[in-house]
Amino acid sequence: MKTIETIGLTRREALKTGLAATAAAGGLLGAGRAAWADTLADIKSRGELVAATEMQFPPFDISDNGAYKGVDRELVDAVAKELGVKVSYLDLPWTSVLPGLEAKKFDLCIAPVTITKERMKRYAFSVPIADATAALMKRADDKSIAKPEDIAGKTVGGQKGTSQLEQLKAFAAKLPKPVDVKEYVDNNQSYADLAAGRIDASVNSLPNLAYAAAQRSDAFAVVLPAFGQPTYFSWVGRLEDKTLLDAINVAIVKLDGDGTMAAIQKKWFGQTMDLPTTVPEPSI
Amino acid sequence: MRPQVILHSFGYLTQAAGTTLAISLAGIAFGFLIGAAVCAARLSSQTWLRRLGGAYVSVFRGVPLLVLLLFIYYFLAKFGLDIPALAAAVGGLALSTGAYQSEILRGAFNALPRGQAEAAAALGFPGPEIWRRILLPQALRISVPPLINEFILILKASSLVSVVGIAELTRVSMNIASLTYRPLEAYVGGGVFYLAINLCVAGFGAIAERRLAAGGAR
Repeated sequence: MKTIETIGLTRREALKTGLAATAAAGGLLGAGRAAWADTLADIKSRGELVAATEMQFPPFDISDNGAYKGVDRELVDAVAKELGVKVSYLDLPWTSVLPGLEAKKFDLCIAPVTITKERMKRYAFSVPIADATAALMKRADDKSIAKPEDIAGKTVGGQKGTSQLEQLKAFAAKLPKPVDVKEYVDNNQSYADLAAGRIDASVNSLPNLAYAAAQRSDAFAVVLPAFGQPTYFSWVGRLEDKTLLDAINVAIVKLDGDGTMAAIQKKWFGQTMDLPTTVPEPSI
Repeated sequence: MRPQVILHSFGYLTQAAGTTLAISLAGIAFGFLIGAAVCAARLSSQTWLRRLGGAYVSVFRGVPLLVLLLFIYYFLAKFGLDIPALAAAVGGLALSTGAYQSEILRGAFNALPRGQAEAAAALGFPGPEIWRRILLPQALRISVPPLINEFILILKASSLVSVVGIAELTRVSMNIASLTYRPLEAYVGGGVFYLAINLCVAGFGAIAERRLAAGGAR
């Protein structure tokens, strides 16, 4: 009986505990942060830039045994150094990243986002940080695909809601035979199905595919050339944070000029790429 | 299959399993307090308390946990209520499981024959004593198996808290899958940890059941 009495609660006790829990919850709710006047000024006074991304997008964002690595990590560290602040990183699922930005849970989205006309209306883009042109990847042993046009009549997968998938659909519409397009929640599932033989090719940006194929050359090979229109990846901020984006752009352009950017590209992509130093007009 | 992937990430997975366990246990504990309070409200003789308890259960059992978490973390932030990720995760789990736990407890109390309380009253037991000595011990004994069920469900549902940016077990398995391009190994690794945790919970449940049964031996 002892055990029962220690866990047991009388009705009145239960009610009291419930009220205490409610009061505690109320205290948590009340601890709200005041609205920010100017995000850049706030970052400088805090001495810290809070950046978020999904750490499942190699080679841009990787969580290697809990350590954040990749192109974005090295670039944002260099940018923060220019601004004279430290960085803290948040790992959020992609579906939570843009809502989190709008809810002011962090200052900047450092996930690579393709610049499109539709997104320009809602978010402020930085100058490009990488090439985002759409390309295809096939199984290494598949000899039936030698150029992008060979996907006619085959099945191709890609991540839902990405501009690369939209580019694939536009490209497929011009081919002589229809392409069966399968949409995935994320690219890793598309790669897994490619390896398993459920689809014949995966679409993504060229840097992502080149990295994947290099990591698993036994399984994957990139289909060259890239088929999409030239597009770019940028970081994204809130529309009202113009001062922050301006400061970040100045820093990125400086890193582009002093060779830091080229060194990061060489390390992660195996090659350098020329990037525009202004935010380009989106072609899609 | 390449088991090295799991071995390489073993420490990372262990750490994430710890996060899953800590968040789930905190959610379950707070949820039990909420469940006890809501159950008390629903069994109350006051009509307004009964309605309040009923409304709580309807709302928090009706809203998916994922939506609840997104609401707490992102939607409330738009009104200046900036709830930290950890509080949002534990709070979301607790609010949700509290509704289920209150119904488990209420079902257990309702399963007790009414005559017992009446007989105790006739024998001169005061009201709180009837609760403490007669109704509560039996109700708890009845509710152990469904409560353990609910605890295991919450442990698995805790994978949803990654939407507020917490690196729990499922999230970390996904991170490993994307890093290594070996999804099978990564998810098998995560699955083994879930299984191990839940077998432990089930084991504790069996022990609790035995001890409660022993305590109630006539």
